[in-house]
Amino acid sequence: MTAGTLAVVAIDGGDLPLGGGLLALVRPALGLLGPGGRLAILSSDPALQEDLAAWCRVEHHDYLGFEPMEGGGRCRHQISRGPLGLPHPFGPGAPERADPSTGFAPLGSRVEPGGPAYPFTLLERDRVMPPEVKELYEQATSSQWNAARDIPWTGVRPLPEVLERALGQIMTFLAENELSALYVPSNFLPRIHPAYAETAMFLATQLNDEARHIEVFLRRARSGGGSLGVSAVTTSQSLLSLLELTDFSEASFLLSVLGEGTFLDLLKYVERFAPDAPTAILVQKARADETRHVHFGMAHVRHALQRDPALYGRLEAAVRRRAASMSQAGGVPSPIADALTILAAGGSDPRAVRRGHDAFRELLETMHDNRVRRLESAGFSPEQAKTLSDLHTPNFM
Amino acid sequence: MPDDTILVGAVAYDPKAVTIWEGIREHFADQKVAMDFVLYSNYERQVESLLARHIDVAWNTPLAHALVWRRTRGTSVSLGMRDSDRDFKSRVLVRKASGLQSIRELSGRTLAVGSRDSTQARILPLHFLKKEGVDLGRVKILAFDTDVGKHGDTGTSELEVLRALHDGRADAGTVGDLIWVTEQAAGRVDPTKVGTLWTTPAFDHCMFDAPPGADRGKCERFTRALMSMSWENPRHRRVLELEGLKQWMPPREEGYASLLEALDGAELR
Repeated sequence: MTAGTLAVVAIDGGDLPLGGGLLALVRPALGLLGPGGRLAILSSDPALQEDLAAWCRVEHHDYLGFEPMEGGGRCRHQISRGPLGLPHPFGPGAPERADPSTGFAPLGSRVEPGGPAYPFTLLERDRVMPPEVKELYEQATSSQWNAARDIPWTGVRPLPEVLERALGQIMTFLAENELSALYVPSNFLPRIHPAYAETAMFLATQLNDEARHIEVFLRRARSGGGSLGVSAVTTSQSLLSLLELTDFSEASFLLSVLGEGTFLDLLKYVERFAPDAPTAILVQKARADETRHVHFGMAHVRHALQRDPALYGRLEAAVRRRAASMSQAGGVPSPIADALTILAAGGSDPRAVRRGHDAFRELLETMHDNRVRRLESAGFSPEQAKTLSDLHTPNFM
Repeated sequence: MPDDTILVGAVAYDPKAVTIWEGIREHFADQKVAMDFVLYSNYERQVESLLARHIDVAWNTPLAHALVWRRTRGTSVSLGMRDSDRDFKSRVLVRKASGLQSIRELSGRTLAVGSRDSTQARILPLHFLKKEGVDLGRVKILAFDTDVGKHGDTGTSELEVLRALHDGRADAGTVGDLIWVTEQAAGRVDPTKVGTLWTTPAFDHCMFDAPPGADRGKCERFTRALMSMSWENPRHRRVLELEGLKQWMPPREEGYASLLEALDGAELR
């Protein structure tokens, strides 16, 4: 039986009085009827006529009267369902544009009219929910790992001091950037209309991923007798410009497509030159998570761009605004540039450092090439892609 | 100084009166109708203010409406009422263990009644019982005169009647059917202990009153803005729910005949 569609429903109320449980049968039965639908109630309660009439008056249904049934003692009362308070179907599919007054009602439920409007501002399906989100959410939930259990921490050994310091600096930088990746999507999550809850739920997995990454990066920095490194002003400026974004598509583009996309290459580099197995494993696991975040960002932006070509201009403008706000910054923050060089060198031997320096320069080129590739895949022209990649923050994220 | 603002009087029977009237004023402002309200602590003062034309409109209980009607010899202007004000009834409830089968057996038994100015819990049920031939002089009246001046708006005296029936202090009791069905629907009535003995004929409840010769423009603007409130509009619904209605209705006078009759000969202010 589909709610609100039937014309006639009959229920047997036994001898239940109105205030003695009968309404638990009457109200759901009325829920099956559309306005004007008839509900017949068989009852042997002698007081029901008066009580049902009064209740119908309060609830705006029409009490049509009663007739005695053959066989004694029972009556058949009839109600015509009133027009007010009829719940309307919400879904089952996500609507193109969501109504803030459905609040936290889950998609597929029926919503009584007249509810308060919620302060959700992300109300357009095409701007919020790419078709891939369901699959990405399932991938995310089946790929969760545990920072304490899934990293072989006992394999951490003390490193030469210069390498230990470089690793501590890299882990500090990674944790600082991942903190921003925890906070930035959090700004948008409560603005997403629950009609698109799958996106909110995917972002929840992303936040959980970032929390775990922060945990493992800091733990690695402190393991083996090391400590944390420096937080650079360039990094701080770059991350503030992400946190201040107010548009979800712009944030997804700058954080996930450009920022986390660039981080994939960074994590791969750290894995390649990792001084021990625990470090290699933890960055490899973090990279698998980040790859999913980049997929979501790409899907989000690609889907939105297909439906709103004007978005190209807005995204390009967002990159340019951010670059302008970062114009005082030099290149890659020196503490992280030096640490990445030393990591690749595996120590401080000058010949090794030369190789480390080459590896670092190669990393920057790889990052640029892959950004261009991702931008083109999102739909930007090769020229636009090159320009936007050049304008990307020297902080990587 | 000419002023287009419609000044409405209402009794602050509950703090929610402020929320209700600020909500209605906001809706009137949306309709480009200037309206403000004055809250009184009792209906007697409000009736005097209306008759002295300190206010343009009074939101009156049936008793206050009947008093205005009589004082103006039926020349006051009725503007509108709630859907829930129409065809109101009162109940004579019975404590089932009392063994009472009919209102004819009330003689010598205890009848709990609401406040002396409550139309639904005292004035009309007693009036109708008398008309049915019940000799009230032989009935022990257990009166709950709570919130006098509020004309039964607070419902406290009716809840006292229900309590007296549940705990055995009364054999029968009078309440309005609104309280009776809403308390039942909320699961606060024990149907094994309390039931209906008799239901009164129907009567009407509250009414917006304007004094005789009231400004027609103000009356027209008032009713137009009032009637445009909709249950399906979330902002309106909040106010309508608090005020206990789903829809405003045009006025009608026939529903007050029994109350005017009951008040006949009574000392009226």
